[in-house]
Amino acid sequence: MAAAVLPGPAADRPLRGSFNSDRQQVAIGTCLILLTGLAPSLLGNSYWEHAFQLVNIYIAVAVLQNLLFVDAGQKSFGQGAILGLGAYGLAIASGLNGMPLAAGLLAGVLAAAAGGLLFAMPALRVQGFHLGFVTMSAAIVFPQLLNQLDWFTRGLNGISMTIPALQTRPFAGISWLTLLVTAVPVVALLAHYALRQAPLGRRMRIAAESPEAARSLGIRPGIMRSLAFVLASVGTGICGLLYVPAVGFISPQGFLIELSFVFFFAVVVGGRGQLLGPIVGIWIVFILPTVFLVKLVEYKPLVYGLMTLAVVILFPDGVVGTFETWRRRRRQGGGGERGFRLEAVTRLFSALPDVPSADVGAAPVLTVRGATKRFGQVVALDGVDFDVRPGEIHGLVGANGSGKTSLLNVISGLSRLDAGRYQLRGRDMTRLAAAAIAEQGLGRTFQTPRVFQSYSVWNNLQMGLDARPAAPDPALAAALAALRDDHAEDSPSLLSHGQRRILEVVRVVLKDPSIVLFDEPAAGLSSVEREEFAALVRQLARKLGKAVVLVEHDLDLVWGIADRITVLETGRVVASGAPADLARDPAVQHLFVGGAHA
Amino acid sequence: MLGDLLPNLDVIVTIVLRGTAVGALFAIVAMSFNIVHNAAGIFNFAQGSIFLLGAFGAFVLADRAGFGLWLPMLVLVALAVGALTALQGWITLLPLRSSVEQDSWLISTVAVSVIIAASLTLAFGSQGNMVQGPLPRYTIIGVRTPGAFLLAIGAMFAWYVALRWFLRRTFTGLAISALSQDFDAARAAGIPVRRLQLLAFGVSGVVAGSVGFMVAPMISVSPDAGLRYVLNGFVAAVVGGIGNNTGTLIGGPLVGVIAALTAFYVGGAYQDLASLLVLVLILMFLPQGLFGRAAARKV
Repeated sequence: MAAAVLPGPAADRPLRGSFNSDRQQVAIGTCLILLTGLAPSLLGNSYWEHAFQLVNIYIAVAVLQNLLFVDAGQKSFGQGAILGLGAYGLAIASGLNGMPLAAGLLAGVLAAAAGGLLFAMPALRVQGFHLGFVTMSAAIVFPQLLNQLDWFTRGLNGISMTIPALQTRPFAGISWLTLLVTAVPVVALLAHYALRQAPLGRRMRIAAESPEAARSLGIRPGIMRSLAFVLASVGTGICGLLYVPAVGFISPQGFLIELSFVFFFAVVVGGRGQLLGPIVGIWIVFILPTVFLVKLVEYKPLVYGLMTLAVVILFPDGVVGTFETWRRRRRQGGGGERGFRLEAVTRLFSALPDVPSADVGAAPVLTVRGATKRFGQVVALDGVDFDVRPGEIHGLVGANGSGKTSLLNVISGLSRLDAGRYQLRGRDMTRLAAAAIAEQGLGRTFQTPRVFQSYSVWNNLQMGLDARPAAPDPALAAALAALRDDHAEDSPSLLSHGQRRILEVVRVVLKDPSIVLFDEPAAGLSSVEREEFAALVRQLARKLGKAVVLVEHDLDLVWGIADRITVLETGRVVASGAPADLARDPAVQHLFVGGAHA
Repeated sequence: MLGDLLPNLDVIVTIVLRGTAVGALFAIVAMSFNIVHNAAGIFNFAQGSIFLLGAFGAFVLADRAGFGLWLPMLVLVALAVGALTALQGWITLLPLRSSVEQDSWLISTVAVSVIIAASLTLAFGSQGNMVQGPLPRYTIIGVRTPGAFLLAIGAMFAWYVALRWFLRRTFTGLAISALSQDFDAARAAGIPVRRLQLLAFGVSGVVAGSVGFMVAPMISVSPDAGLRYVLNGFVAAVVGGIGNNTGTLIGGPLVGVIAALTAFYVGGAYQDLASLLVLVLILMFLPQGLFGRAAARKV
């Protein structure tokens, strides 16, 4: 039955190039850093050797800023202060107070991490421009403090410190220092690339782009934001350690807020989110004015301010991003209505044996008792009782404003009950946060599908696997491998609205929850997609034994696949029962226009 | 011990007066933040520099021309700063028109802030300038008080009342208020959204620029001073609840008095640190501010 509605293999879709050019950009970036870092020493040009030591440290900081800005969605205007903390930690401990170098290095990293924690703490609660102001304030205050605490930092006099061991030149005129400052941005770049491939990177991105989708996948957005700040700060602190021997002298003037703006602007000018962006950005924002305005130092801030403004208005994708957009446009387009094909998975599910009917209708997996939710004077839910059993497809219908979505939000923990309680698999969930409830085995979709454009179609599915409690069994893993081969390089921006919905549904299925909530899943689906969706939901219940709650205005669909239906009206349950019985219930009749379905 | 910590009446009056006067400026910047935030969902990071433009207006004009023309020059500078801010608004809103990118305002307003500070440095040098004011010193509860302090506190209340009247009683103001509820609905109702947002930018510039002009005698008129007002103005806005002008009447003076207390007990250089700590604590424990409403959850 299910197989019949799924069309055969789609036509070939020749695609040129990969979904994104991250790998190529890492390769180019690594070459550029190695070239600029090592060539001046090989050629014996000490001016450029020295200049690029600083440039490459700045590039490493900008790479981390890029990660923080785009992958974790955190706008920080304070990374210059974090760099300063790392540098001052080392210089005060080892340079001024004669502690061993190892202790100084540790002090620098700890100081930077502490600065990161200052940013991370408010990040647990707030986001967006709030954090922009917190970090900017810190960058304003940092040099003021350095000046003020002169008994500790030597104030405006600064601290001179060199590490002679790093000046020795073991290979072909290249010093240890040059090797280190060349290696650091390369490592930062590779780490950024690796993070993007890893579940942690995906989690950060989901938390940044859609906090509620993140929580429904068991991700805590505040933790992700804070973790990103701490990671970026530790890395930036390490850059600060190298700043000391590279420059030889540190003072508050080296870490004014303008430095933080340089890192931020470099990411924007180079191209937000592009791995190569920070390299190109630092070259343009930092090197160009340094070389061409060498006599007109005071014009530098004006120049990079104007440059950034021009980029935001004229090339919002930045230099590298504009090339990447152009490359993506040249790739051939999507697969039309068959752009997302999941035969491999549906075939697998339909081959599974039915869940024994004895198990169906066992103890409810979800019990809601007396659920009440008020928004000011409005009572959205008024003492709702609601049960769902394993393997049951439970339709939830009612007019707009009857409380369907409110009930879903309460169950998934996105809003709190004012009265009543509910249990999932026998455990009380009433007071738990959304992410914790998701971990207990709840999955949901949203009225607008949460599909992430910066990831390929396969990566979007992988987000469900990331949240899965146990590894998939071999049969599923094989089906997934087929899906991956099909969609690893596909861009979700080419999918139709209906295909995005199906994609989100499959993602939730891969999370392997014991109960799935669908919020108006059929809205905007074509008739083929609707059949595909219905087949998938049936498989979920019959083959995998999931409990399904379906909020839907398409009553044909609900009456076609639901085992039980609950009707809500102004926050109350007015009817509940089998579809056939309910269709004759006077309380339900008016839902059908003209009563044609009665 | 306790006697040392509790200063005499003069000192208390000085701290409260100075704190309230400086805090009134933070409140003004916070109000001008709120106008743009409510109309366009944008937080203008350049608002401190725009406030400073008014002060530089006083430095360029008032000092040279004498006080007979003080009032017409105030109007002129306020309108000029308002026009510049509207232009900034136009630039800021450009990328939002077509693109799905909604973060660009954050970058462009920071860039404008840097551009203004850099231009002022090029034109006037980086040192602080002194400006004379039209008002003499007054004696309040035995404390000699610069007239600009009273001007600052008076301007805070005057602009609060004027903005309240504009936003609640005029058709244009009501339309701007409607924007803060729902952009799409406002557009569907035939409200010219973009024009009103530009007007909001302009009004925010008039508010900040006029007060910058008036209080120039009590502040250090130097290009990098804008950062101090953007930071403390934001703290005042957060303390009062973002978008809530009534809250700024408490938030501004509160931040100002905390800064004055810090200056007295710890040292003038620690005032911004104190504001930063207030900001972090408020965001951690009371993110809606003292008077803000909890934002509705989006799903």
